[in-house]
Amino acid sequence: MEMTTRLHGDVNILELIGRFDTNTVPPVAAWLDQVTSTPGARVLVNLTHTTFVDSTALATLVQAMKRCQQYKGTLLLCGMRRPVYMIFELTRLDKAFSIYPDEEQAMQAFTN
Amino acid sequence: MLVALLSSQYARFKALADAWIAMGATAFGVSQEDYLLAYWPAGHLLARPSLRAPIMLEDEELGELRVAGLHGLMYEQRLRADATMLAYTLQLERELQQMTADLVTSQDQQVALYRLTQTMRDHLTVEETLRAVVSEAMRMIKAQHGYAMYVPVDAQTALLVQLPGPSLQPELLWQLFWQAQANEQDQHVVDVALETTGDPTTCQILHLPIKVRGAYLAGMGLASTTSEFSAPDKKLLRAIADQASVQIERTLLYKEMFDQAKLRTEMDLARRVQLDLLPRNLPHIAGLDIYAASRPAYEVGGDFYDFIIQEGRPFMFVTGDVTGKGLSAALLMTMTRSAIHSKARFMPYPTPESVMRQSNEDLYSDFTRVGVFATAFIGQYDTKDHTLTYANAGHSPVIYQPYDAEPILLRADGTAIGVLAINYSRNQRLRLRPGDLLVVATDGFSDMRGADDESFGIERLLTLVTALRTRSAEGIAAGMFEALDQFGQGRSQDDDQTLIVMKRQIS
Repeated sequence: MEMTTRLHGDVNILELIGRFDTNTVPPVAAWLDQVTSTPGARVLVNLTHTTFVDSTALATLVQAMKRCQQYKGTLLLCGMRRPVYMIFELTRLDKAFSIYPDEEQAMQAFTN
Repeated sequence: MLVALLSSQYARFKALADAWIAMGATAFGVSQEDYLLAYWPAGHLLARPSLRAPIMLEDEELGELRVAGLHGLMYEQRLRADATMLAYTLQLERELQQMTADLVTSQDQQVALYRLTQTMRDHLTVEETLRAVVSEAMRMIKAQHGYAMYVPVDAQTALLVQLPGPSLQPELLWQLFWQAQANEQDQHVVDVALETTGDPTTCQILHLPIKVRGAYLAGMGLASTTSEFSAPDKKLLRAIADQASVQIERTLLYKEMFDQAKLRTEMDLARRVQLDLLPRNLPHIAGLDIYAASRPAYEVGGDFYDFIIQEGRPFMFVTGDVTGKGLSAALLMTMTRSAIHSKARFMPYPTPESVMRQSNEDLYSDFTRVGVFATAFIGQYDTKDHTLTYANAGHSPVIYQPYDAEPILLRADGTAIGVLAINYSRNQRLRLRPGDLLVVATDGFSDMRGADDESFGIERLLTLVTALRTRSAEGIAAGMFEALDQFGQGRSQDDDQTLIVMKRQIS
C-alpha cells in the first residue's frame, strides 16, 4: 500500500493506494491520530485507489471518525470502488460514515 | 639517528677508521652539526681535516665523515663512497625502525580490537553498541569527543549518540553522515566549533561511514581539539568502524530473533485463550444438526462463537469477530463474549436485539478507548415453531440456504458493537424448514486470499454453500475449509476462520 497526504485549504487529505489492511495500518493510524486530534479538524480519506480494506483498517477509520467527533471536527470518505463500498455496506459502516462519490463532492460538502 | 647507528655499529666504524689510517691518514672521524661524535686515533680532534664528505639522506645532511693527513681526488672519492654507504645503512635502519613501530602499533590495535569485541558482547541494543564503540574509539585514539549514528531501514527512529555529551552540532553530524553515505568515503573537516561551557574551542572531525547489511546505514566519528589524526589513527578508526558494523548487524539479528520469539509466545498465548474459551461441546438441540469450528490464523484474530443453553429458555448462539490481532484481540474477544453471554443468560426476556443493544452499551466506551469494534451475529432458535430470530451487527458473511431455493446473504442492519453509542440492529425472523441451512461465518472465509491475491469473496461462498447443502453440518464445515485450503494453494491464513453451521433435520 502507498499513502499520500496533502493539504487543500484547511482540509487534510489522505489518499490510500492498494490494500489497506492489518499490515499497512500503522502509518495511516499514526497520521490520522495526529490530524484528527486538532480541534475542528477537517479530514478527507480518498479511497479511489484502495483495492481492499480489512476489519483492522475499518477500525482505524472508525477510531479516527470518533476522535474527530470528539474534537468537533469532520471526517469524510470518498471515491470507493464497488468491492470496497460493499465491505462498508456489509458491515453497515455506510451508516456511520459520510461517504461521497469523489473528492470534488466531498470538498463541496465541507464548504456547505 | 647517526648517534644511534654509531652506538650500535661502533666496531664497524672503527674498522673503517683503521682502514683509513692504514692508508696513511693521520685521523678519521664522524661529526654532526660540527660536533665530533667519534674520532680515531684517540686525542686527535680533527681540527683541520684535509677531506670532508657529507652523509646525505633524502636531501638532508645527517652528518659528515672527516679525514686528516690525506689529499687528492682518489681519497675524496673514496670518502664520498663511504659516506654514501653509511647513508644507505642509515636509510635501512630508518625503514627497519618504521616497520618495527608499525608492527608494535598493529599488535596494539589487535589487542585493542579484541578487547572491543569482548566489551561489546554484552550490549543488546543498537544504542548501547554505538555508545560502546564511541567510548572505546575515544580511548584508543585519545580523542576528546566522539559520536555514532544509525538510521534503520524504515528511517523512523534515527539514532545519534554523542560522548561525553552533546558538544557537536547534530545538524553538522547528520550532514557528514549523508555526505559520507553519498560518497562512500571518510569525511574530514577542520575548524569545527565545539559547544562547551568554557572558552570557545574548535576541533577537527574525522567521520567514517559504516556499512550495515550492505548499505551505509551507520556512521561514526571522532573530534580532536589537540592534534591531527595520523595515518595509524585513521587505520585504527577504520578497523573499529568495521568492528562496529559486525556488532550492529549482530545486535539487529538478536533483536529480530527476540521479537520473533516474543511474537510467537504472544500468538501461542492468544491462540490458547481463544481456543480454550470456545465451547468444548456442541449443543444437542431437537431437530437441529449443529456444527461449529474455528481455525485461528498465525497472527490470531478475535473470532469467537458461543452457545447459551438454559432450561426453560430458547437456545441462543453467537458468532463474533473483534478487530485487531494477537493477545489484545483475544482479550477483547473474551470481554465481548462474556458481555453477550451474561446478557443472554441473565436478562429477564432476552432477544437477540436486546442482548446486542445492551452489550453495545456495556462495551462502547471501552472499545472507543482502545479503537476497536466487534461484529456479532446473535441467533435465538425456537424449537417449537422452528423460528430463528436474529440480530446482525455488522457481521458478514451469514448465508441462509433454503433447501429448495437460491442462497440468501443475511445482511446486517446495524453497525458493529462499539461503532455507535446505540446499536440499531433489530430482531429479524426466519422460519427454518426441514433441509434449510444457515451458515454463520466470519470474514476470514470471504477475505481468504488465493495465489494471485484475489479474495475468495461472497459469490464463491454462496456457490460453495449451495454445492455442499446436502451434507451434514459437520460435512458442510469440512467442505468449506477444504475449498478454502484449495483456493489458498498453501498460502497461510491472514485471519481467523470461524463458523457455525446449523441445519434443520429432515425427520
